[in-house]
Amino acid sequence: MTILDEPIKEVLTVKNYVGGEWVGSEGKMVDVVNPANCRVIAKVPVSTTDEIDAAVKTAEEAFPEWRRTPPLARARCLLRLRELMEEHFEELSRIQTMEHGKTIDESRGETRRGIENVEVAAGIPSLMMGYNLEDIAAGIDEYLIRQPLGVFGIIGPFNFPFMVPLWFAPYAVATGNCIIVKPSSEDPISQSKIAELTEEAGFPSGVWNLVNGGRTVVSGMLNHPEIKGICFVGSTPVAKDVIYKKCGETGKRVVAQAGAKNFLLVMPDANLESTTAACMTSFYGNTGQRCLSGANLLVVGEGLDDREYEAFYEKMLNAFTVAASKIRVGYGLDESVQMGPLRDEGKKERVLGFIEKGIEEKAKLKLDGRKVKLVSDLPHTCFLNPTVFEDVTPDMTIAKEEIFGPVAAIMKARNLDEAVDIIHASPFGNAASVFTSSGKIAREFQYRVQCGNIGINIGIVAPMAFFPFSGMKDSFFGTLHGQGQEAVRFFTESKVVIQRWF
Amino acid sequence: MEEPKATASIIINLAEKFENESSDFYEKLAKRFEENKAAFLSFAHESKKYGVLIVRTYRETITDALEACFSFEGLDLSKYEVETNLSEDASFSEALSMAIALEDKTSKFYTDVAELSKSLLATIPAAFRRVAKGRNSRKKVLESLLNKTPRP
Repeated sequence: MTILDEPIKEVLTVKNYVGGEWVGSEGKMVDVVNPANCRVIAKVPVSTTDEIDAAVKTAEEAFPEWRRTPPLARARCLLRLRELMEEHFEELSRIQTMEHGKTIDESRGETRRGIENVEVAAGIPSLMMGYNLEDIAAGIDEYLIRQPLGVFGIIGPFNFPFMVPLWFAPYAVATGNCIIVKPSSEDPISQSKIAELTEEAGFPSGVWNLVNGGRTVVSGMLNHPEIKGICFVGSTPVAKDVIYKKCGETGKRVVAQAGAKNFLLVMPDANLESTTAACMTSFYGNTGQRCLSGANLLVVGEGLDDREYEAFYEKMLNAFTVAASKIRVGYGLDESVQMGPLRDEGKKERVLGFIEKGIEEKAKLKLDGRKVKLVSDLPHTCFLNPTVFEDVTPDMTIAKEEIFGPVAAIMKARNLDEAVDIIHASPFGNAASVFTSSGKIAREFQYRVQCGNIGINIGIVAPMAFFPFSGMKDSFFGTLHGQGQEAVRFFTESKVVIQRWF
Repeated sequence: MEEPKATASIIINLAEKFENESSDFYEKLAKRFEENKAAFLSFAHESKKYGVLIVRTYRETITDALEACFSFEGLDLSKYEVETNLSEDASFSEALSMAIALEDKTSKFYTDVAELSKSLLATIPAAFRRVAKGRNSRKKVLESLLNKTPRP
């Protein structure tokens, strides 16, 4: 067992990065705590309204020159940033494990996914091209050009502190906009490190800014007339009732990715061994704290008689439970660990509340993650082990609400139609997967299910950087999504020119 | 709770360790046995490249498909423990025997992890297979050197 070296040796003071300068804040400082050992690793400011206003002003001033910078030159800044991220790959990954709690392999995966967005955005000279048509009328040509809008605000979540802001930031700056990133104050260190690298990569002052804080910063962004759009990833109530609503009122563009309750279907013809392995990563990866996590496993008895269905259900349930019970829980910098802690004690309490609710509503607790077993001697404060409930019905709270923790609900559906009805009864529409060897079932699932990200024999339906991160219903508010071409369209205005020369 | 598993992180770090130790080992052989300096230095250089290849492949392909819950099931890491500490008075043939054992165990390691990772992105087992092949070729070179070496 190897414990990797911690890159943060002493308590850091996180600062804001505005106009190419590292600046302190007048706001109070709050602790950033490593959830695995409960040690304070940094202090981060809760910035004030004046500070966010000053950052917007700086970004606004940097915009005219940056938008005139040729796309290829902007792309080169991103290419240099990419190289620096590769160079600091391990450090960036270990910081994420320390600030969030995820395992080192999960952090490395997150770093990779973040870098991929920088790589894709570096193709901006091609991605941003418009189109044209000659002779739309006698001697008249028409063409479309894409132009940046100005300053955008990017509000990051706690669960993917490094990657999620990179679903947006590289595309925003590649298209010629300036940005202000507000990371989660629970785990702001990796974004601070990125800002440091942008400085080294040669981004001009004021293009890429970082303002730490909480609601005051978010409100400041939402109310500021010079912020042209907001990118947000977080909970459904905030996405729907605060971000989307306020952006509508103030005429801002908005991408608001929200909560989820994802269903995984297992059909009788699925490869059970591979399905179980995929389920472990889906339900327990990132300690269940992701909007693409599996939440409800629907064991579907399509084409089976009652006896066969019971046998199939038991087989799947047992395979799932045995695999979940073997997951090693501990500090993510221990390379043998497969699941880390929840981000903080409050989040653990919330998950415990759901487990108790499940018991109260008569779901059967097959594997009790409240009995914490860790691979080494650590405070149990933020830890839970994997939990499995069986005999869960669609009306139960644990089947309906987003738990955001390592809890699996195993449910039954007699056939595909019933399973699809159960999925559609959920207000969320982020992701759904089916495990099957039938092309017909897979095609029908993909065609009918109202979710933005569909998996066929995939546990975590995470779109690559060159595809949009989709989402429907209460899981997404906006029109265009983050990543790839949709992000390029989000961050640009389409201008049509019709031209005739006399 | 289960015994420690060979997670991807453990395997990659082990591979990197093998390559670093091999590189140091062959550099020492190059200093000790001047007549075969070129061959040993090329092995040392090659090991450095193998280390870079493995780590780069891992970092470039690690995504949700290859994260914490994936482990190299059934792999007994104690099978691959290698010895690279050459005693001061070791003869050339003893050094070669040690090198052959090193190549044998590491090529077996890479072959096994390639097999266990074949369900992942193709570049991962391909990188392991490439190093296994290189290690096997070295073993043949070392065996041929040993065969040419007069026995006491």
